[in-house]
Amino acid sequence: MPVKKKVAVKTDPYFIDFPKRVKSIQKEMARHGIDVYLGSRLRTLSWIVDAFMPWRSYIVIPPEGLPTVITFVIDAARVADDSWLDQDHILGYGPMGGQDQVALLTGLIKPYLKAGKGIIGMETGMGTYLPEGHLTLFEFVMLKAAMPKATFKNAHEMVDRLSMIKDIGTINRFREASRIVDIGHKVVREAISDGGYLKMTETEVAGLAAYAMRKVGSEWEWSFTGGNEIAAGYRTGLAAGACTPASRKKLKTGEPLMVDLHAMFKLGLGDHSHNYFLGKASKRQLWHAQNFVDLIKKCLKAYKPGVSPTKLADQLLAFAEEREFQDYLVPGFEHGIGMMGDEWRIGLNDGPFEYWTNPEHPYKKDEMLICAVQYACPEEDVGFRYENPILITENGCEALSKFPLSIDVV
Amino acid sequence: MPEKKFKYLSKEWAEEVERRLKKELTPDKMKHITSSMLTVYTNCPDGKTRAVYYKLTDGKVETVTLVEGTLPKAEFSITAEYEMFARISRAELKARSALMSGKMSLKGNLVKALTLSPTVDRLNEVIARVPTEY
Repeated sequence: MPVKKKVAVKTDPYFIDFPKRVKSIQKEMARHGIDVYLGSRLRTLSWIVDAFMPWRSYIVIPPEGLPTVITFVIDAARVADDSWLDQDHILGYGPMGGQDQVALLTGLIKPYLKAGKGIIGMETGMGTYLPEGHLTLFEFVMLKAAMPKATFKNAHEMVDRLSMIKDIGTINRFREASRIVDIGHKVVREAISDGGYLKMTETEVAGLAAYAMRKVGSEWEWSFTGGNEIAAGYRTGLAAGACTPASRKKLKTGEPLMVDLHAMFKLGLGDHSHNYFLGKASKRQLWHAQNFVDLIKKCLKAYKPGVSPTKLADQLLAFAEEREFQDYLVPGFEHGIGMMGDEWRIGLNDGPFEYWTNPEHPYKKDEMLICAVQYACPEEDVGFRYENPILITENGCEALSKFPLSIDVV
Repeated sequence: MPEKKFKYLSKEWAEEVERRLKKELTPDKMKHITSSMLTVYTNCPDGKTRAVYYKLTDGKVETVTLVEGTLPKAEFSITAEYEMFARISRAELKARSALMSGKMSLKGNLVKALTLSPTVDRLNEVIARVPTEY
């Protein structure tokens, strides 16, 4: 396959063999009798194109040769500049005759259908994650009308299966994103220490961290949950809550502060939360803090190949009961992760509830997840969050963020 | 003596278009582009489909050919009804409006087409000055 000269060389620690990824999908297409694949999910686009694609985009993968991407015309040249694919394979769509999404997709797909017949792999489903990018009903109806003899088959599982185990280039991108997040945390800790938090707001903390991380190469505070999630006081302990876009709330002495930072490096994602008490902490608050830290230590020791979300939850909830803080634990301890757009569900769509994590999913070596633990005590206005990208290793796990685990009184 | 008019999409019209383009457009004016373009006229007055093929190499207009039957491959292909093209040539309608309304259809890389459109406009300005009988 012809590729652009700027493609990273194999000695680059962040090198990913994207043509190999395309070939692996084409092999699966042949195995499943799919004539042409139409990808629309952000995770699929990131995994193949190696460019951030914020606009509605699609990828058409033929049975052999290079795929063609279409994205909103205002961003097509930039995507082509960032991607390993050349500009003849990154097309723009716009509101012009022959250049709208349906016309372009039909033109790209039809040559691979015999007399209009054949199987088109598509990506549909349901998700908690807003920018998932499943094919919409309207898109499907329009494409079906344009290619009435073709059969559409939901086939995203092929991409999900292939992208589950991470290669070294992907892992290194995540490691670098975590290193950047740790720099953000260091800057926040310095800024809020010794009364520095006084007169600061949650949004200011988010911005400080963003600036520090961007200075060392973060492309974006990638999370769709509002970028860097900062919560202070009662907002740390919202019932069953684990989503806190920064607000204009001022930081106050004696309150908890939750700092959940996100950085992106070459579509690898950093995501780490650290927690504080501002100025002082009561005995009761420190009791909560100790519970949380001990729980996280236990959690990080538990991750290894063969462990499933259910097994892990059983173990951690038993510990919480033993220490009598089970009422404050949100009973979920991880979410899935992959290159930009691949967030939330762990593993494949093979659990008891469609498009949710299969609680019996057994972790495998080189799989990644975000260890995500939320402790919330609404009646005492206190809560903590832990998030850290975890790489499952041969006998355990590697926590990619190295920022020391603790709840500091600053 | 009245100015000679060329019948739209006739062999003589295409020859005159080619002559004027070669004379009036320098490679610098055409930004040294290398490309090919096909304008496909459906529903001509005699019911046929015709096309005009333009080929530019390094900004030099190489050929303007009238095509009937099998159409050659081109980097860009613009398709519309004869009357639509005629209205554009008579400056009654802008090509952009025709494209945006979906009455004209473009095949080819839109990003490249948008990049090239100011240059292609120069080509159209020359064509518009050819005395034409529709």
